[in-house]
Amino acid sequence: MLMADAPPHFLDLFRRDAALSHGELWLRYFELGGMSTGLQLEAYLYGALRPTEHDHDIIAHALNERFVELGGNHPVPYSEDVDRGDDADHGDDVGRGAPDPN
Amino acid sequence: MTADRALSDFSVSASFTDGQVVLALEGEVDVLSAPEFDAFFETMIDRGHRSVVLDLARLRFMDASGLAVIARGANRLEVTGGTLTIRTPIAMIGRLLDITGFARLVQLGPGTSAYGHLGPEELVADGAADHSYGMSKAMTKFASIHTDDELIDGALRMAVSLAGAAVGGADGVSVSLRRRGVLSTVAATDQTISTMDANQYQTGEGPCVDASTQGHWFHAESLENETRWPVFTPRARALGIQAILSSPLVVQEHPVGALNIYSLTPSAFSIRDQEMAGAFAARASSLLGDAEASQSDDDLSIRFQGALRVREVIAQAQGVLMEREGVSEKDAYAALRRYSLGNGRPLYERAENIVASARRSLTDADG
Repeated sequence: MLMADAPPHFLDLFRRDAALSHGELWLRYFELGGMSTGLQLEAYLYGALRPTEHDHDIIAHALNERFVELGGNHPVPYSEDVDRGDDADHGDDVGRGAPDPN
Repeated sequence: MTADRALSDFSVSASFTDGQVVLALEGEVDVLSAPEFDAFFETMIDRGHRSVVLDLARLRFMDASGLAVIARGANRLEVTGGTLTIRTPIAMIGRLLDITGFARLVQLGPGTSAYGHLGPEELVADGAADHSYGMSKAMTKFASIHTDDELIDGALRMAVSLAGAAVGGADGVSVSLRRRGVLSTVAATDQTISTMDANQYQTGEGPCVDASTQGHWFHAESLENETRWPVFTPRARALGIQAILSSPLVVQEHPVGALNIYSLTPSAFSIRDQEMAGAFAARASSLLGDAEASQSDDDLSIRFQGALRVREVIAQAQGVLMEREGVSEKDAYAALRRYSLGNGRPLYERAENIVASARRSLTDADG
């Protein structure tokens, strides 16, 4: 279950805030050990595919490292930051603190 | 969880038909299996196979490490005049090749009509050659020139030769190119033509300079009546030049140079000659554009290599933590991540320190 105020593409909103292209984010995700292709990553970002918790956390960390580089904090929640529902193992309940869609 | 995949299943087999070697890949190409793929591919090229087909029909997964192998192989084959064809990738991999720009590097089968190098016997076309040398034949040969970076000047020289042969009124041809802000002649049919170009660079005027900076073509039909370039024109006439046709070379909508055709005869260039000059200039432009794109592919490939190293260090650090702390792979990763977050430092930096300290303690133990 996503947070009520988080749109399905909340990760992509973070990506845009972080001023990373899909390719750049994929490279960072890949560096941090991500195993999905660029296309799959895009699907995660847009909410078309659901990443595993591990994948979600790598994406979140890639974005957070970027925000820190930019002098910010780390706004993207990790899987453990989120109250787990019944199907938490599927990496579902993430998305709290998503930026406003615009 | 994908990260838990211990060893990937991958196999590659070769079959030989019609002078081609077909490498059939099966399973998954990732960081673990890529070295095997790389070694196999390299062996085939080392053995002299120049026409290589990668059959991906049974390949289920490929990541950047597989792309890096393909890029290396494609580059090696291109340098040696070979061809690489990729056929029947599943949709996901096909799309991966597409979005990463690898589709540009290689041919996507089944059509295998190949790029090929010009043989030495075909290098003879020059300004003195038979002018009946057909446009389409000349263009086909030009189009078959490789776009490898190292070959770009050679390809432009070939363009100059072919334009000299194909454009009726041409007595001399050159290509001017702006590199690092400076316009210079990279190819010319003879010294007079180089001098002609140099005169234009010195005086800062002339059709070649104008075409190179303004991005449209300039035709000086007869220099006797020419008034646009008062300093340059007398110098050109002193060398016997009567007509000039300069067509711009344009890459990504920016003028980068010009294809210049000179004639000793006034009004030498027919409409057809002008069209042909334009076609050669367009082809030379796209050649330059491809070279630029292949340069950015190289950059991408270098970045991939860097990313692969970072990955490896992180995986090693995870291994060290698992061993040292007796934690799971997942917990080891989470520990790295928490440290990175808590200290505002990149995860990679922490991983590197852990690996370095593990190496030191190993060395100390050995010593």
